[in-house]
Amino acid sequence: MIPRLAFASLIARALTVGMTILAIALSVALFLGVEKIRTGAKASFADTISGTDLIVGARSGSVQLLLYSIFRIGNATNNLTWESYQDIAKRPDVDWIVPISLGDSHRQFRVMGTTPAFFERYKYRSGQSLVVNDGAIIDDLFDAVIGADVAATLGYIVGDPIVVAHGLASFTEHDDQPFRVSGILEKTGTPVDRTVIVGLRAIEAIHVDWQGGGQIQGQSTPADALRRMELEPQAVTAALLGVKGRLKVFGLQRSINEYAQEPLLAILPGVALQELWQIVGIAETALIGVSAMVVITALIGMMATIFSSLNERRREMAIFRAMGARPRVIVGLLVLEAIVMATLGALLGLGLLYVGLTIGQPLIDSAFGLWLPIEPPTLREFWVLLGVVAAGAIVSMVPALRAYRMSLADGMVVRI
Amino acid sequence: MKILPLIALTTFTATPVFAEETRQLDAHEHGVGQLNIAFDGQQIAMELHVPGADIVGFEYVAESAQDRAAVDIAVATLAKPLKLFALTDAAGCSVVQAAAGLESEEEHDEHEGEHGEEHADKEHAHEEHAEEGHAKEEHEDHANEAGHTEFHAEYLLTCADPSAIADINFSYFKSFLNALEVEVQIITATGATSFEVERDSPILDLRGMF
Repeated sequence: MIPRLAFASLIARALTVGMTILAIALSVALFLGVEKIRTGAKASFADTISGTDLIVGARSGSVQLLLYSIFRIGNATNNLTWESYQDIAKRPDVDWIVPISLGDSHRQFRVMGTTPAFFERYKYRSGQSLVVNDGAIIDDLFDAVIGADVAATLGYIVGDPIVVAHGLASFTEHDDQPFRVSGILEKTGTPVDRTVIVGLRAIEAIHVDWQGGGQIQGQSTPADALRRMELEPQAVTAALLGVKGRLKVFGLQRSINEYAQEPLLAILPGVALQELWQIVGIAETALIGVSAMVVITALIGMMATIFSSLNERRREMAIFRAMGARPRVIVGLLVLEAIVMATLGALLGLGLLYVGLTIGQPLIDSAFGLWLPIEPPTLREFWVLLGVVAAGAIVSMVPALRAYRMSLADGMVVRI
Repeated sequence: MKILPLIALTTFTATPVFAEETRQLDAHEHGVGQLNIAFDGQQIAMELHVPGADIVGFEYVAESAQDRAAVDIAVATLAKPLKLFALTDAAGCSVVQAAAGLESEEEHDEHEGEHGEEHADKEHAHEEHAEEGHAKEEHEDHANEAGHTEFHAEYLLTCADPSAIADINFSYFKSFLNALEVEVQIITATGATSFEVERDSPILDLRGMF
């Protein structure tokens, strides 16, 4: 009896009820969306590097080193000299070491110089290796392997020429020494997708005719001469390092951090990532707080609509009471209506979230390199939805109790 | 026999010159120790670095009998890792190697690797600093400038079933009343991570780490 009345009453006021439900739905979608982006970002960051024991670079901060070496966010304060690099590579505890040299760009994408070992050693998403989708990895001095996003955005195929620009966002180009796309990598969901990978020697080669930040007028060494040249870098940006046995990681880290000839920093990627979360944590909490406030606002909005509907429904309530409905029934009716609204709002919000994710997923991926997985709702999300419904029920108690007290007298008295 | 002290002398005199060219000093925060733990198969390697103030309450060179005794007791306590960092019993862990000693900041280059002996006797590690004339002088210089010393310990454990380790109970805080916090870094097969263990909640939960 009461459920039927409640539904009929809601349908009778379809427009206002619809608006209230929409407000709740949007707030729920926002709250769950923030949560999704937060966990998605964390997972995406954590998946970017795996299998590397230490990252070595100039002494700065561990978070900074992690960000510029792996995520290509920000820039290195200093480089790692080649002498120190070789010195570290020679240590008996070092299993493998891969240099990374950043600084040049191609269009909006970074160019990274490294050794072929990078393709073998760089691992993401708990141990997955890079896969060449088309073509082959670097063989010639002027070969470049490009990430999936580079290929997709610029429409490159294997064999296309690439001209690397000197520095980032600069107009001077190494157009005398073009590269050739030798391979395109499979999509990884990591910054590698947006990177042009060339050989470490190639980075030196394109700078042979350069001095003091500019090309020497009229000088251009032929490519074949460069191929024969002994090209040794003076410095690299950072190095990824694997240690022979986990037990030796801390010892090697300590000895690199205490390296007397050059101020160096060795970090454990996982630990640096954790430090990053600590910094980001405050913003995260603020974001969750704001979106929770939006949900509360929507619920208070619902309370306001119920309150104003009480005025319209004075007669209705009075008639119920006159027909023998107990005050309890009036309360039950109003609370039930609120629960129905909150439930519909929560479910619609969940639906909006998935619609939003489906539309936004590729956009967010291309803009921020963040791949948000579309997965069934988690237990946590289920509790959030249940919480919204429960909060809706509690909030509706206020107008319901008012109706409880007023229903009979209010509706019967003729007001002029 | 004559060459050996000479070499020792050159290393000692060379170090200060070097220190003038590139000056660096580790961070040193009283109350906060660092514990690194690496899990590999059945082996667990731990290294602990704690400011002297946390362990014995002072960082000057122990000269009075009382201070020396305090350092000796501390080193002896630090040489028993399972009493300080209690691992879950079911894991069946035992100590393979344990070494502890007191060091000042710039000297550990010379002393590294010297603490490797089985259950290194506390006398040895301690004597190096207190008895050896030159080292002592260095130490005093140091005490006048910065006055920071650190206890350093290295442990190698072996466990019958490391996956049974659910948590580490830091009884360490009960042994050393000035210690407030330990920054823990852990490496397992699943990667590296860090924790902060504080006096108020001295249990480090490791479930899901293996």
